[in-house]
Amino acid sequence: MLLLLSHWLGRTHLGVYIRDSSYAFPAIEIVHLLFLAVFGGAILLVDLRFLNLGFKTQSVSAVARELLPVTVGGVIGMFLSGLLMYAGGTMRYYHNPAFQAKMAFFVIALIVHFALQVGVARGLPEREGTGRLLKAGAVASLLLWFSVGFAGRVIGYV
Amino acid sequence: MPALQHFCEWVYTTHLSTSIRQSAYLFPFLETIHTLGIGGVVGTVAILDLRLLGWIMKKEPVSRIARQVLPWTWIGFAIMFVTGLLLSIAESQTNYFNWAFRIKMLLLLLVGINPLIFHLTIFRKVNTWDVANVTPLRARLAAVSSLVLWASIIVAGRLIAYVNT
Repeated sequence: MLLLLSHWLGRTHLGVYIRDSSYAFPAIEIVHLLFLAVFGGAILLVDLRFLNLGFKTQSVSAVARELLPVTVGGVIGMFLSGLLMYAGGTMRYYHNPAFQAKMAFFVIALIVHFALQVGVARGLPEREGTGRLLKAGAVASLLLWFSVGFAGRVIGYV
Repeated sequence: MPALQHFCEWVYTTHLSTSIRQSAYLFPFLETIHTLGIGGVVGTVAILDLRLLGWIMKKEPVSRIARQVLPWTWIGFAIMFVTGLLLSIAESQTNYFNWAFRIKMLLLLLVGINPLIFHLTIFRKVNTWDVANVTPLRARLAAVSSLVLWASIIVAGRLIAYVNT
C-alpha cells in the first residue's frame, strides 16, 4: 500500500520535477528547516512549561492552548515540505533505514505530543493530580522529537 | 594574502580542525546539535516576535513573555555558537571563500544589532504598551526584521554546504 503510493508519488509531474531539478531540493529543504526552527522552539516551550521549567507565570493549559496554532502550523509545514522532498526520491527514501526510523519516531511523537498538548489545552490536568504523568509525557515528547530530528539528519549519510 | 585568510588557513591546520574533518561522525553530529540549537534560538525568538505582532498570546504582557522566553533563547544561542564555531573551525579554509558563509556572518551581526536597538529604545518604555494588542510600530518593525533576518540566516547557513567556494 505504502509502496504503491510511493511509486505513484514518484511518477507524478511534481515528483519528477523535484527529482530532475537541481534547485528544487535545496529550496524545499530550506523551507523544511525554517518550519523546523519555529516548530522546534514552540515544542520546547510547551514541554518546558509542562516540566515547570519555563513560562511559569502562565497556567499549563494557557501555554498549551496559545501555542497550539504554532506547533500545529509548524508540523503541517514540515510534513508538506517533507512530503515534497520524499516525492523527489521515493525509492531512495523508502528503503533508507534512517528514513524508516524517522517516520516511526515521527508517528509516535505526533501521537504522544499532540494527545498531551491538546488534552492539556482543554484543561484536563487541572481536574486531577496528573502532574507526574504530564512531566513524563513532556520528557517523552522532547526525546521523541529529538530522535526524529536526529534520524532526519542521518538520512543524508546512509 | 589578507590577515584573515592567513588566520583561517592556520586554523585549518590545527589538530582540532583536522580531527573534526577526519572523523566520520563528528561533523554530522555537530551539525545536528547546531540545527537543534537554532530551533531553540529562532523558535523562542519567533514566539516573542509573533507576540509583538499581536498574532499569539495577546492576553499576555510582552515583558512577561520576554522574561520567560529569553533565558532559553540564550541557552540555545550558547549551543548554536559553540557547535557553529567548531563547524567553521573544521572548514575554515573553504568557508573563508564561501559567499554563503560570508553573508551568514554579516546577517548574524545584523541580527545582533536588532535586539540591541530594540532593548535600548522602545522596550524601555514597555510598561506603557505591555498589554496592548497592537504594539508600537517600532516594536513591530523590530519583530519583522528579527523574523526576516533569522530566516535569512537559516537559508544562508544551509547554502554553505551547497555552494562550495
